[in-house]
Amino acid sequence: MSHLLRLTHPIHLVGGLTLWGIWFVAIYGGLSVACTVAPPSPDRDALTGINVVLGVSTLGTAILLLWLTWACMKASRRTQVRRERFFALASAGIYLFSAGATLFVGYPVMFLPPCI
Amino acid sequence: MSESKDASLTPETRRLHEGLARVWANPRGLGALTVVNHTTLGLRFMATGAVFFLIGGLLAMLIRTQLAFPDNNFMSNETYNQVFTMHGTVMMFLFAIPILEGLAIYMIPKMIGARDLVCPRLTAFGYFCYLFGGIILTSSLFLDMAPNSGWFMYTPLSSGDYSPGSGSDFWLLGITFVEISALSAGVELVVSILRTRTEGMALHKMPLFAWYILAMALMIVVGFPPLILGSILLELARATGMPFFDPAGGGDPVLWAHLFWLFGHPEVYIIFLPGAGIVATLIPVFARRPIVGYGWVVAAIVIMGFVSFGLWVHHMFTLGIPQLATAFFSAASMLVAIPTGIQIFVWLSTLWLGRPVMSLPMLWILGFLVIFVLGGLTGVMLALVPFNWQVHDTHFVVAHMHYVLVGGMLFPLLAGLYYWLPQVSGRMPSERLGKWSFWLIFLGFNITFLIMHWTGLLGMRRRVFTYDTAMGWDIYNLISSVGGFMMAGGVALLILDVALHFRFGKPASQNPWNADGLEWAMPKPPTPYNFVSLPRLETRNPLWDAPELPRTILEGQHGLATIDHGRRETWGSDPLTGKLREVIHLPTNSWWPLLAALTLALVCISLLVRLYPLAAAATLVAVGFLLRWSWENGAHPKAAPDATVAPGQPPLHSRTMNGPGVWTMSVSHLANGSLYLSLLFGWFYLWTVAPEWQMPAASPLAWPLLVGAGVALTLGILLLAKLVRRLRRGHDASLGTGLFVVAILGALQSVLLIGTIWLAKLAPTESAHDATLLVALLYILIHALLGALLCLLQGLRVGYGFVGAEAPLEPVVVLRLWYYNLVVYWSLFVAIWVMPTVLGGTS
Repeated sequence: MSHLLRLTHPIHLVGGLTLWGIWFVAIYGGLSVACTVAPPSPDRDALTGINVVLGVSTLGTAILLLWLTWACMKASRRTQVRRERFFALASAGIYLFSAGATLFVGYPVMFLPPCI
Repeated sequence: MSESKDASLTPETRRLHEGLARVWANPRGLGALTVVNHTTLGLRFMATGAVFFLIGGLLAMLIRTQLAFPDNNFMSNETYNQVFTMHGTVMMFLFAIPILEGLAIYMIPKMIGARDLVCPRLTAFGYFCYLFGGIILTSSLFLDMAPNSGWFMYTPLSSGDYSPGSGSDFWLLGITFVEISALSAGVELVVSILRTRTEGMALHKMPLFAWYILAMALMIVVGFPPLILGSILLELARATGMPFFDPAGGGDPVLWAHLFWLFGHPEVYIIFLPGAGIVATLIPVFARRPIVGYGWVVAAIVIMGFVSFGLWVHHMFTLGIPQLATAFFSAASMLVAIPTGIQIFVWLSTLWLGRPVMSLPMLWILGFLVIFVLGGLTGVMLALVPFNWQVHDTHFVVAHMHYVLVGGMLFPLLAGLYYWLPQVSGRMPSERLGKWSFWLIFLGFNITFLIMHWTGLLGMRRRVFTYDTAMGWDIYNLISSVGGFMMAGGVALLILDVALHFRFGKPASQNPWNADGLEWAMPKPPTPYNFVSLPRLETRNPLWDAPELPRTILEGQHGLATIDHGRRETWGSDPLTGKLREVIHLPTNSWWPLLAALTLALVCISLLVRLYPLAAAATLVAVGFLLRWSWENGAHPKAAPDATVAPGQPPLHSRTMNGPGVWTMSVSHLANGSLYLSLLFGWFYLWTVAPEWQMPAASPLAWPLLVGAGVALTLGILLLAKLVRRLRRGHDASLGTGLFVVAILGALQSVLLIGTIWLAKLAPTESAHDATLLVALLYILIHALLGALLCLLQGLRVGYGFVGAEAPLEPVVVLRLWYYNLVVYWSLFVAIWVMPTVLGGTS
């Protein structure tokens, strides 16, 4: 199984988007549950505990994905095998897209109240 | 190029051709029903899909006739409801998906250098499920019982209270039946692409079309099960009154919307991706240069496949979801524009840097580019929540949807039709008729649907069967109807062109478009075995880099050029590198797929007419047929009793521990897991969101029985895994006995689960909690029974000598099922017993 962890393996083509998908489901599901269990007062703006948790998870996920982008780029430069370089570069692109997607989707937590 | 009669071939090569023709022969007459070959079945899929397209198109013409004039009484409102529901249903489920799957079934082995798909009997089974499901569903039109709740069957409109006839049942049962077909094709396409590419075709060298189909097939595997679950729940609700979607019983109608769109949005991309695959195949051929940015396209495909699963709520913006949640989905919906844009720019760059030649297929590609880009732009508009609210359920949405689907799927499909027609028939279509057909369809389409954007912006809601002239929509609707009939005229010309070309078309040369793809390296029309010999390939453009391939393949100069063994064979290769791993021996013609599908059709009809004992009996017979089918595998006399292979060749796949069967089981579990996760989603959704959900203070399930069942399952796995480890070392002593013991443990698990259900005294018709619990318990019970049954059969097969140290594959496949059961069982135990017990009985 250790070969799957190498950043030149094509499993990383889906790694970034899997992380993005888990984060996406978590923030949507978490938001729904939080709004059912402990909704903040409707008078409050975006600065609520829910938004802070969502924002932190967004930043954390984006940082992880950006690090993986960098690591894939490095792996692509290290390998001499064309196939491995191809997958490392493609994976880097997809990790980068996933990081951008995380920030873009998560950005509204800065200005929208969570449960209205 | 003519076959074995080719005078330049040596006598030895001619004997090889004759042997291949004998072993791969398709029977005629009644025996044609036993054919399992991908070429024949792919064509059957496409021909059947074309018939359903005509039915769906006829329904569209009825809709446009009704809407052409205000206050029109051409149809009653009830008939109109049935017509628009069936138009959407037929086009989405009986035309778009199956015809694209048919194309993939036909093309993929030819493009990747294989002789057939990896599970030929599954191809045949899938076709018959599609055919019978489609017939059952469309028969409702002639019985005046057609569904009338719209193609997405929203509850409560589709429930027993508001749709009391059989229409919704036809939809739910018919579509579920058809989806068996989609899933079976999805699974085998994934495994075939990953494991049967010809020698040397590494993953990053395979044709882009194969990447697109791989993504589509995986999306089918993951995306269809939520709808299958939703359909099962809704049919249970209609047949027995289980309140999954009834707020009074603790259910929630929005759960249906979630389950439907969890399927429905990816469905759009499932339809688009093969279309884009056709575009990515044709553009380099007509630009006369390799595609620009192959890696970019692969990345875009992967991104599109994933992101499309994160958009489903954008169909539900008006359901009262909090702004922040809608903002997430709005942003995710806009993101899809990025991979789409990458592909568009790659195609444009390829044309820009190439030396494009204009031809009939290219005309359709240009039509695609125009229409699809416009549809994509209105898609970004609809991703904006405030705009979406304004135009929701209006003709604007209908126009957008048709721009995306007709532009993204029909135009590329017709480009592909004209491109590959010579490959199928050996003749060229008429350029003149083809151009007339294109312009009629292109102009007719835009006249119909461009105008419909305005009709929608003026406030005309979809699904209204008539309108008052004071609304000011008259002229727009009339123009749309005229355009619709123009388009129908174009389709009629297209049919005429295709029909005439079989008789009058000019004979096609070996490679009429000077294409690069391997599918042009075979005789035309293709033989059932595709290639006489399987070449080693390390290029993305085989016929450009090695134009002699058609000849050398025909002369048997490459791999697997033997037939004395009498087996149907293709290469089994490494999914990443394309290095050879096995010789896959494929099953030959069989009645079992037809019999199994026929019996399932009987199940479907019995459920429709509510003859439940007959449905139960037919289910048992169907299971019997499927198991009998599985009996003819491995070392069975009808499969590969003799494991001898030519010197230097890898072993037969059934004599290894990692044959394609293991992959097929694993990919099937992706589908199964998706269904299970949808069920878990339903459980937690109702628990947290449904206003009247009642969680009892204490779980009604007896934990000692549940734990006992889990222990039996766990012990069974431990023993089965040990048996497989011993097999891996070449030891099969006591294998049969061990498998029987595992079967007994599976049976014990089943008995304990039945006891749990019996003692729980659930009231599934009164509470959504009990109904969901019952479905979850039945789900793991079915798996427990299946695990026990398969181990029992494996034990018997050891006794017959079909499984053992020499043929060790099958226990490995069954072990995958048991691992799946283990994960599902204990996670479900946590979800339905531990969590409610720990968190307590709150709603």
